[in-house]
Amino acid sequence: MIKIEKSKFSVFIQNLVGDFTVFAPVGEGRQSAFDEVADAESVNTALQNTVQSPKSIFFPQTEVLFTYNDGDVQIPEAADKPFFLWGVRACDARSIMLVDKVFGRAKQRPDDPAFEDPYWKAKLDTAVILTLACNEPASTCFCHWTGDGPFEQAGDLWAVDVGSSYLIESLTEKGKAVLERIENASPAGKTEAAEIDSLRTQAESYLGDLVDLSELKDRMKQMWDDPAWDDIAAKCVNCGACAYACPTCHCFDVQDEGKKGKGKRIRLWDACMFPLFTKEASGHNPRGQAADRVRQRFLHKFSYYWDNYGESLCTGCGRCIYVCPVNLDIRTVVKRFLDIDAAV
Amino acid sequence: MKNAYVPIPMIVDKIGIEDTAKTLRTFDLRFVNDADCEQFKYLPGQFCEMSILGKGESPFGIASSPTEEGILKFTVNRTGLVTNEIHYLQVGDKVGIRGPLGNWYPVDSFKGENVVIVGGGFAFTTLRSLLIYLLAHRDDYKDITVIYGARNPELFIYKDEIESWKQRSDINLHLTIDNPVDGWVHKVGFVPAVAKEVAPSSENASVVVCGPPIMIKYTIPVLVDLGFSDERIITSLERRMKCGIGKCGRCNIGPEYVCIDGPVFTLEQLKPIPDAF
Repeated sequence: MIKIEKSKFSVFIQNLVGDFTVFAPVGEGRQSAFDEVADAESVNTALQNTVQSPKSIFFPQTEVLFTYNDGDVQIPEAADKPFFLWGVRACDARSIMLVDKVFGRAKQRPDDPAFEDPYWKAKLDTAVILTLACNEPASTCFCHWTGDGPFEQAGDLWAVDVGSSYLIESLTEKGKAVLERIENASPAGKTEAAEIDSLRTQAESYLGDLVDLSELKDRMKQMWDDPAWDDIAAKCVNCGACAYACPTCHCFDVQDEGKKGKGKRIRLWDACMFPLFTKEASGHNPRGQAADRVRQRFLHKFSYYWDNYGESLCTGCGRCIYVCPVNLDIRTVVKRFLDIDAAV
Repeated sequence: MKNAYVPIPMIVDKIGIEDTAKTLRTFDLRFVNDADCEQFKYLPGQFCEMSILGKGESPFGIASSPTEEGILKFTVNRTGLVTNEIHYLQVGDKVGIRGPLGNWYPVDSFKGENVVIVGGGFAFTTLRSLLIYLLAHRDDYKDITVIYGARNPELFIYKDEIESWKQRSDINLHLTIDNPVDGWVHKVGFVPAVAKEVAPSSENASVVVCGPPIMIKYTIPVLVDLGFSDERIITSLERRMKCGIGKCGRCNIGPEYVCIDGPVFTLEQLKPIPDAF
C-alpha cells in the first residue's frame, strides 16, 4: 500500500490520461455519472456515489453491434486505449463482476468462445478499476445485506480517502502495473492501517440493521402465488427506472436502425418491467401482468441468479430506492418475503 | 474472436408454400461461403436467428436434418414485422442466420429405444428434423411412432413428405384434425385425446412433444399416465428472444434461459418451474 498526497492527485490522473481513457465520477445530484475526464479538476471527489452507475462504460445504453451496407457487415473498431476507472465504489466494482458472469463465457458453453459477448469483453478485459472505499454510505445503502461492504476490496486497485491523502493498494497484476507508475509516493504503514480501521468502523455505523438473505432464494419461490406480489405491483408503475439505474441489470433489446440496404444494428438497455419485453408476435405474453413482471425482477435478483451463480444479483447500492418515483424500497420488499415486519 | 451477433450470409435456394392462405412458407437456405457450411454443425432441435438487415431477427427451429447436407430449412409463419419481411423473400435473395443456437433432442440416448414423436400445427419443424434424422439412421432406433395433429387438413406442413411417410412400414403414423372434414380418413380429435387412444408403449421409449403450449400442457399428463418417466418426456419451448446466446435476459423461465439451457427440456427439468407453459 502506498500513500499519495491529494495535492498530487492531478499528477496521478495526468499520468494515466495518455495511456488510458480515464473515467471518474462527474456532475452533481441526479446528473452525477461516470464520464471520461481529461484532468483531475473535472472529477467530483465529494460524491457518495453517482446516480448513474459505471455499468454504461462497459455496456453503453445504446451500442452499435455492426453497420451494414448492401449486405456488407462492419463491426465497429475496438477502443484504442484501455479504460481506467477512478473512484468506483465496492458495490459497483462487484456488480461489474456479477454481470461478467453472464456476459463472459456462458457457463452452459464453457468451451465455446462464440458464447461470450465480444463487446463487453473487449472493454472489460483491458480495463483497470480503482475502487474507492466508502467513508460515508448513503441512507439508501444496504451493501452489508448482500455480502458487500463499504470497505470491501474489489477491482484492480483499492483506495481509501484519509483526508489529506489517498492510500492505494494493488489487488491484481493490472493494478500493480498502474501503481508502479506513481512517483513520489510514500509507503503506508501501521498508522495508516489504524486510520483505515477507524474509518471502516465509522462507515459501517452509517448502515442500518443487517438482514440475512440466505433464505430469500427459496422463500421467494415458495411464495410464487403470494398476494404480496400484487401489492408490490399495485404500487409499481412499471417505469423501469430501477433497472436502468441498477448496476447489475443487464437485459437488452436489439434493433435495426436505417433503411433496408444501409444502417446499423444496435443494442439498447431494456427492462423486464416493460410489458413488451416478453410479448410474442402471436400476442401471447408469458409475463402479461404487472405482478408477473415485478416477480421476475425480484426473483432474478435474489433467486434465479443465485441458482445459476451462487449469489444474489444485487450489491446493495440502493440506486433503485433513490430513483423510484413511487418510493418502492427493495429493502422493504426483501423484508416482506423474509417475514420481517414491513409494509410495502 | 468469433462474434456471435454477426449473421452468416445465406441465399434463398427454394421456397415452398405450405397452405392456401400462404401464411406458412418453407425456405431452403444455402450457405454463401463453403467455410461457413463446413463449420455449421447442428443436431435436431436446435434453432437459428434469421436476420433481415434493416428489419431485425427472429428465432426459428431448424426444420432440416443435419443428414440433409448443404441446406438449412425453416418454416415461417407470417405473424409480425420480421416474418412478414421473410415472406417477401424470393429465390436468390440474401438473408442472414445466426446459429446453431440452443441444445438438441438427445438423439444419442434414443439409440436402441422406441421413439414417440407428438406434434401439433406448424411446430412440427424441429420434429421433422428429428424424424428425418432418425430415418437416416433407421437401424439405430426401434419403433418410431408419430402423432401429428393440425386444426384442419390444410394446416399440416410438409404434406408431400407426410404422404411418403404414410407409405413406409417402419413408421407408425397417426394424423389427426380437430373437427371432422369430408374425405378425411384419419383420426379426429385433439392431440392429447389421440395420444391417449393410440397409447404408445412407454417401455424402453422416449417421447418428444412439440406444439402450442396448450397442447403440450394437456398432452404431458397423458404421457405420464402411459408410464413415461419425467426424464424421458422431452419438449421444446419458445419464448421471445433477441441475442440467442444467454445474455439479453428475456427468454428465461425461472433460472433457465430457453435460448441456451433449452429450447429442449425434459419434464424433470421443467417440473420445479411454476410457469413453464
